[in-house]
Amino acid sequence: MSHGINVYKADGTLGFSTLDITWMQIDQFTVAANASVSNTYPEISGMTIITQMQMINDPPTSQEAYAPEVVISGATVSVAPYTSKTSEQVIIMVLAQD
Amino acid sequence: MSYGFAAINTSGQTIISDEMENLHFLGKATLTGNDGGNYGDFPGYGGSNDTLDGRVIFTYTITATAPPLVFIKPSDYNRWHAIITQSNSGTTWTFDVIASGLSTSYAPELFCFVNANNTSGATSTHGLIVWKADGTTRTFDSRYNPLAISDGGTLVPPLDPTDGSGLPGTTSGHSWNYATNDHDFRSTTRYTSSAVTGTYSDLMFAAPSLAQATYKRQMHGHKRSCGFLGCCCQNHDSTAAWWVMYRNTFRLRSGYMDAGWTNYAAGYSFSSSHEGGGWFGGGGGSYSSGTMPYTAKTINLTSNAYIIADSTRYG
Repeated sequence: MSHGINVYKADGTLGFSTLDITWMQIDQFTVAANASVSNTYPEISGMTIITQMQMINDPPTSQEAYAPEVVISGATVSVAPYTSKTSEQVIIMVLAQD
Repeated sequence: MSYGFAAINTSGQTIISDEMENLHFLGKATLTGNDGGNYGDFPGYGGSNDTLDGRVIFTYTITATAPPLVFIKPSDYNRWHAIITQSNSGTTWTFDVIASGLSTSYAPELFCFVNANNTSGATSTHGLIVWKADGTTRTFDSRYNPLAISDGGTLVPPLDPTDGSGLPGTTSGHSWNYATNDHDFRSTTRYTSSAVTGTYSDLMFAAPSLAQATYKRQMHGHKRSCGFLGCCCQNHDSTAAWWVMYRNTFRLRSGYMDAGWTNYAAGYSFSSSHEGGGWFGGGGGSYSSGTMPYTAKTINLTSNAYIIADSTRYG
């Protein structure tokens, strides 16, 4: 490349460069069963936000295991049970990209 | 910004910043065992449409001071995979991964990523480290192989996880003791796809498995038998039921990422009864191989983000 940054490993191989694409990790938090959480991240206003949600300690064979609803509005990520539903405990990872 | 560090890639995206944290390679989770595989067919049943896709549950652990973002690298790209649950005890994280099929010989690899501040142990004196304004929190540390992605998007599996036509249901009017399943509960053709680039046999994916489904085919049989001149009539009733619980799973193949289904559990039950007395009596019996976890439906059917990366960049 004619411009940009190459970061090399100690063995001389390329580890990371400005030709790469990534998602920045903005936050991660646990949402308890049936709970609601809303977090705002002003530093990523205008960026594309995605979440990765994983149920934890879930008993998948014995009952309905509802995930909560995740709503992304601007730089705010809100997690809450769906209307009239329970929700399982989950881990939310918030990722952002320009 | 008035101070700090930012690296912008050739698409204008921030890929290193002193304000936002990159994910870094923590290591591969350790495979600790599997459940031996199960549900290649309906337990206790041997008639038509007995075959299911089967599944194996592989269990892994890794030590991490924060919840890792986990990528699945299949060892057999014909199989469907997903992390179906994760838990932690202190810093030990445990993951259960479902893989379609019955062979325990194709355990996938799990590549785990955390933010730089939750990595430790590197002794290399080369590279680039970026700290936040607090001077102690690392946002980027090239010694731990920062995550670079090759693709991403959103996928949602189809509502109906079964290969059979339409959703299975309950019917009556069958002959007494009728127990022949007419619905294909496999999921071979039930998926949605999104295009991906790259050599697929090097790729790995991070995608949450949230959708679940349970469906049942149930048949009620009946016979009424009477003695001489309609005397002493006797009702005979039977119920046969096949149910399957599915979890949302994913597959990487040449040019595509697929979101589909793999059967997690299954059961077959049969019961037969007849009224007492009567002229002819009749056979009865019951069999049950598990309890259907909830009434027939698909839940958590929402679009989920997935991320794809090249596994060859990580040790």
